[in-house]
Amino acid sequence: MRLGALLRTWLAFSSICLPSASARSVTGDRLLVLVPAVEAAIHDYSIFLDSLKRRGFEVSIRDAANSSIVLHIDGDRLYDHVALLAPAAKRFGAALSIHDFIHFVNTGGNMIVAASAALSDFHRRLAAQFGVEFDKHGTAVIDHSHYLSSKVSSNHTIVAASRLSHIPAVLSPPLLADEHPTIYFEGIAHNYDSQIPLLAPLLTGSRSTYSGSSVAVDRPSLKSTQAQLSGRSLGLVSIFQSRSNARVVFSGSSALFSDALVGAEHSTNGLFINDISQWAFQEKSVLREVDHRHRLASAAPSSLQPDHYRVSNVINYEIDLSVYYENKWHPYIADDVQFEATMLDPYLRLTLNRTQVPKSATVATYHGDIKLPDRYGTFTFSVNYKRAGFSSINVHDTVAIWPLRHDEYPRFLSAAYPYYAGSFVMVAGFLALCAAWLWNTGPTSKSSKPKSS
Amino acid sequence: MPAPTDVLTKLTRDYAATTPQRLKVIDTYMVFCVAVGLIQFVYCVLVGTFPYNAFLAGFGSAVACFVFAANLRIKTNPSNSRQFEASPESAFAEFVLCHIVLHFVITNFLG
Repeated sequence: MRLGALLRTWLAFSSICLPSASARSVTGDRLLVLVPAVEAAIHDYSIFLDSLKRRGFEVSIRDAANSSIVLHIDGDRLYDHVALLAPAAKRFGAALSIHDFIHFVNTGGNMIVAASAALSDFHRRLAAQFGVEFDKHGTAVIDHSHYLSSKVSSNHTIVAASRLSHIPAVLSPPLLADEHPTIYFEGIAHNYDSQIPLLAPLLTGSRSTYSGSSVAVDRPSLKSTQAQLSGRSLGLVSIFQSRSNARVVFSGSSALFSDALVGAEHSTNGLFINDISQWAFQEKSVLREVDHRHRLASAAPSSLQPDHYRVSNVINYEIDLSVYYENKWHPYIADDVQFEATMLDPYLRLTLNRTQVPKSATVATYHGDIKLPDRYGTFTFSVNYKRAGFSSINVHDTVAIWPLRHDEYPRFLSAAYPYYAGSFVMVAGFLALCAAWLWNTGPTSKSSKPKSS
Repeated sequence: MPAPTDVLTKLTRDYAATTPQRLKVIDTYMVFCVAVGLIQFVYCVLVGTFPYNAFLAGFGSAVACFVFAANLRIKTNPSNSRQFEASPESAFAEFVLCHIVLHFVITNFLG
């Protein structure tokens, strides 16, 4: 009796505690936050840091200059995510180099890199590795039309940015639905390389936003002519997703995450930093391929996957996709999942249809009945799915397509009857000629005689 | 200058009068080959090359028969007799042998 009550209490307790205790990120919950000064940061970024803790991260807040900081030990990552909130730091840890951070991303670690008007060269060089080029020293983002009017700053460097890219994988519905989001931004502009498909601008300047000297902003007419970056080409926040599906967010403003701007009037910073940190730390829009299979369309669904097909076979290809958000794997619903069969050149590229009855509640199955090309060789069957904000999926199988055996070709085709007739008529003609030739022995001498006579 | 019709009538008259009977038979056969080949070619253009091996066999058969007949005609033409030591009978034997081989190949290739 007492034991049962105890068990019930424990169950009730664990059901309350487990959701907050369990890691929401798919890749892990070890988060390293690097700040200029720990005490001040805990105070300045309390809303952001508390939300991270609430979401189940093991947050280690460290002084950027702390010499004991290492990202890897013996090749293993010590952290799953890193947030750099120390824009002025010239170096991290004892001797962390840019390559250590690149290696961190290459091994699947995620990063948030926050900058400010006082940005160190270390950050510039790190960002340049990802195609993000921060503006020159001494510049800041300025907007004389959209700004936070406050006692603290009178020079319009706290910009109210609202131009969000429409990336539903990153931004949550309330933010996308908001026609006039107000994201306060105080920091430096960056130029994003639009040639890099892995990089996408998330928040850009509006028409009146420009990057100018942070010192002489009281004479904007003079400085605005020298502005290099302005309007849409001025990046405020950009997102990067590597080929290993590691995610990096570059924010030109570290103040964006601060309590001061999150708590400002009409501010949507809270929603925005929640969205970008959830995205960056693999808490949402994580796509995964659960299973895929192919077989002859005429074969039983449970039959073994063959290692080769014959030319022009009709096959059935299926792939199961899941997407992770809100702590669970959900079926991934889309209408643009494509199958490709390639042999150097793409021979087939077809959109797969979603199966109405999925295998399980966490996957969506996409299928297609595909007629293989009338070409033999070693083909690659692939689903190469890359969409903005979602993890990329690249599934491929190497499958041989054999030609027909010599006795497998269709015979006695009705289309070929004229050719059959033609060749047999030639045989008949030949026999007729032979007969005529042999029968005409007499006339030859007769006909040659009158000619000579 | 003679009219084209006169040329044609003279040509046919001379052909009928001076060409040996056996060569006329070969000529008829060659015309027949061309007709069979042309019909198959037109059919292929209209219907498509799908049983391509059958088309090649049928059309090739007509072309090869035409070529063999042309050879036989050259070798057995009395006006060429000075150039060829072999008799018309041996030329005919070669012609028959070639045809037998050809039709084996064609039937095999027909599908």
